[in-house]
Parts: sequence; structure tokens; C-alpha cells
Amino acid sequence: MAMRVAFRCLTANFSPVLIQRSRPVQISANRLLWKANPAQSLSTASRLSTALKFTDKHEWVRVEGGIGTVGISKFAQEALGDVVYCGLPEVGQKLEQMEEFGALESVKAASELYSPLTGEVTEINTELAVNPGLVNKSCYEVGWLIKMTIDNPAELDGLMDDCSYEKFIKSLDE
Amino acid sequence: MMLRTFSNLCAQSQACFRSARAKSTLSAVIDDTGKSGLILKSVSTDIFENLALEDWIHDHVDLQTRSMLFLWSNAPAVVIGRHQNPWQECNLQVMRQKGIPLARRRSGGGTVFHDLGNVNLTFFTSKKNYDRHRNLQVVTSALKGHRPDMDVRATERFDILLNGQHKISGTAAKLGRTAAYHHCTLLCSADRALLSAVLKPTCQGIKSNATQSVPSPVKNLLDEDPTLDCDTIMDSVASQYNTEFGFSSPVTLVDPSDELSLPGIQRMARELLAWEWTFGRTPKFSICTTFELKNDTSICNATLNMDIKNGIIESCDIEVPSDWLPVELSQKFSLHLIGGKLCPYETSVIAAELLRTIPQNKELERKMYNLCRRVVFMM
Repeated sequence: MAMRVAFRCLTANFSPVLIQRSRPVQISANRLLWKANPAQSLSTASRLSTALKFTDKHEWVRVEGGIGTVGISKFAQEALGDVVYCGLPEVGQKLEQMEEFGALESVKAASELYSPLTGEVTEINTELAVNPGLVNKSCYEVGWLIKMTIDNPAELDGLMDDCSYEKFIKSLDE
Repeated sequence: MMLRTFSNLCAQSQACFRSARAKSTLSAVIDDTGKSGLILKSVSTDIFENLALEDWIHDHVDLQTRSMLFLWSNAPAVVIGRHQNPWQECNLQVMRQKGIPLARRRSGGGTVFHDLGNVNLTFFTSKKNYDRHRNLQVVTSALKGHRPDMDVRATERFDILLNGQHKISGTAAKLGRTAAYHHCTLLCSADRALLSAVLKPTCQGIKSNATQSVPSPVKNLLDEDPTLDCDTIMDSVASQYNTEFGFSSPVTLVDPSDELSLPGIQRMARELLAWEWTFGRTPKFSICTTFELKNDTSICNATLNMDIKNGIIESCDIEVPSDWLPVELSQKFSLHLIGGKLCPYETSVIAAELLRTIPQNKELERKMYNLCRRVVFMM
């Protein structure tokens, strides 16, 4: 039941490509092909796949093997405009939840980034140094920002799932 | 425009007086006024104190239900954007000679020269109310209020152009957790000769992904209209801000060195002053350049290759033809620079140590001195 509800919630965002592909086969978010266009949308076809969790600052985190990959949402990258520089932390830097860890500079402004979780930075996306636009083109996939350890897994429970995040964005317009 | 000092504002508000005893910080006083729009003016001309005040307001004042305009100007300083490379943007040698400090702000954008002939305006709002166009309209309307026929227009890049060709204002902004600020400069009577001198970078051969400035021809408003001095402009903008947003705020003076009213501000100013922020936050870059070395009898070309991260020299290779200088000397110099700051003072100390080790040979000493001096000059 919950699965059907989740699926219905997400189909509104499916692009035509994804609807054709979504048969009763588990599709992990990692394997979905994203079209690099503004209609790019988020979907997880199954609760068992590595689902994204969101903060109210429009960052997402995806947990795989005890490591969280962090990026910004489609809503955030659209609001930012073209990213021209990604100011990211150093590997090894320890971050507290909600701590500022860097900034993305776009024509709009320098927008600060806030850590979704407490942990240590294990990797930064070095592609962004040469191609900061990846954050706009592929914010959920190759435009990820940092990877970090998860020192306090309970913090994940306080973050929004994709449905709640979609509702949250809608409420911002009101 | 009525000017009040912060303490006057405090004294005149009953509620304020009660707070004054318990917690007379600026944010408490602002909350107690109940006003949704406020105009502050700094009494300081110190770039670091004023930048720290911007950060303090952004972090401590509730900007969800109110907006603020902050007016400030500084003694000569060069201010680079958050992700810029100072070696690529300005003439650090001239700045050092003239005692002009370098500051790195937390907003994005390009490099600007500040002096007392330049007005800075910061518009604080919630993220929702962030609207640079509207803010710049306040500025252009204020100027047109003085001279209705003045051709001042905001561009798509949020510059303000005079007569369609000269830049009189540049913009930068920062979006934080829940609040935003948009600040812009306004050239009234800046020293244009000094501006050109300091904004001409001298370090060649830099390869970097840092954000780069877009140079533009500039002009002072005072040249266009002799009545447009800094104070007149600040007053007009303050007035127009009230009109545009429906506020009725007087201009309140603030002292950004006042730790009691602004707890934590001195630490913020120290962070902005620190080498680790101004130079150390430079995005990774490399220098690859060729330069001439001369003495009385000969001339040669040397090359320098350096990789710099966080302002620290990670790798360094200085190559000088072996017939001009023994290879082991230039190699020793290169090796000693690794791990140190890209800083002329540190490098001079290293160079002085090395020069002491050279055997008594005046010509060799002079050549080595030339090399060291040339390398220090690049920093």
C-alpha cells in the first residue's frame, strides 16, 4: 500500500522516458538514465533502492555502504542559475549537521552549502573544478558535491523523503 | 535625513531601555523598535570591520520579517570576491607599497577598489524577498531624483552604467540559510589613478579556475555632476529606500568595533583579516612563467613552475641556465620554497638564508640575489 502511494506520488514527476521503462522491475535510482534537460526529475521506483533524503536547505544525501553522497536538488540548481564555481571543503574536514561547508557561486550569488549530516568528508567531486555546470545539468548524478561518513545515522530520520520534499517545495510558493 | 546614533535609538525606546540592561545587542534593539525596515550607517572606514558587520547582521538579525539597508565606505582597500585569486586580480606589490590592504568578501563577484570616494550599499532581506533589480532601482531612482536627465541604468549583469558606457556600480551577493544580502558599490569621487594602478595584476602565467573579474571603464559621479558627493548620495539612497519599500526609517549610526552591542564581531573581523582567509582561500592554481635575469655582463631566461593550493606552494621548479647560475643553487631555492606560503616576506627570509650559504663570490651572490628578488616580486 505504502509502495503504491509512494509510486503515485512520484509518477507526476516522471518524464516520458522513465514511464516507458518502469515495469514491475526494481529500478535503482543509480541506474535510471537522466535526460540532461530542464525536465529532469527525481524518482525512486522502489523504497528498497538507495533513496534520497532532503534538507530544508535543498541539499540531498544518498547513503550507500555507510557513505553519504551529498548534492543539491533540482529546485536549488534552478534557483541558483548557472553555477560558475564550486567552493568545496577539503577531504578529511569534519562537519557538523547544518554547518556551512562551502558555497556555490552563480550569476545569482554565492550560495552557502550546509551539511545535511555530521561526518567527515571522504571525497570531493573534482570534476566540478573544470565543469561546475554539472551541478545544473545533472544535480542528482554526476553533479554530486561531496561524500562523507555518517557519524550519527539517526540524523537521517530527521530529513525529508522525496514525497515530503516535493510537498515542502510546493509550500514555499504559497 | 535624521541621523541617530545607536545609543540614541536605544535611549528613545522604552522597551529598549529595559533590554539595554539585560541584553543591549544590536539585534535586540532592532527587534524592540518593531520596525520592518531599518537603515544603518557605519562610523568606521575599516574594510574588515565593515565586512564583519555585514556578516554579523546576516547571522544575528531576524531578516524574515524585516529588511535593512547598510551604508558604508572605506579607506583605500582592494576587495576580491569569495572565489577569486588575488595574484590574478590585483597588483599586490603596489598595494603593499601604499599600505592598501586586501580583503576577501564572502559574497561572489569580482574585484573592486574602495576608497572614501566610493559608497557601499548593502540590502539585507529574507531569501524570499531577494531582488537585486529592485534594489538597483532604488539607486538609479535616487540619482535621477537629483538629475532627472541623468542616464543611469542597471544592466543584466547588475552593473550600473552611466551614459551607457561607464560603470559606476558593481554588484555581488550572498545567499545564506534564510537571509540574503546584495551589496553594490557606487563611484562618487574615487581616486581613479590609484584604482587603475592596483587593479592591474602583475603576476603572469597563472592557470586557475577561480572566478575572474570583468574589467570595465569607470567614471565618478562627481565628474558628471559636482553636487553628487558621497554624503549627498547616501542621503538620497536612504530616502529612496524608504520610499520604495514604504519604510520610515531614520539613518542610525553603528560602530562595528563595538563588541558589547555586536558580540562576536571582533572575532569575525579577525577571521577576515587572517592570511588563511584572504590568501589561503584562493582556489588551487599554478604559475608557469618565463622571466629575464640580467647582470652587468649577461642576460638569460629563467622559468618558474609552481602549484599552489590554499596559498601554500605545493611544488616548485625554478630553472635557470647552468652557465648563469649553478643548478644546485636554483634547485635548492625551489626546494626550500615548497611547503611555504606564496608570500614575499616568507620568501625573502628563505632567500636571505640561502644567500648566506653562498661561498664568497660577489658575482654569484649578485646573480642569486637577482633571482630571489625576481621570484619575490611575483608574489
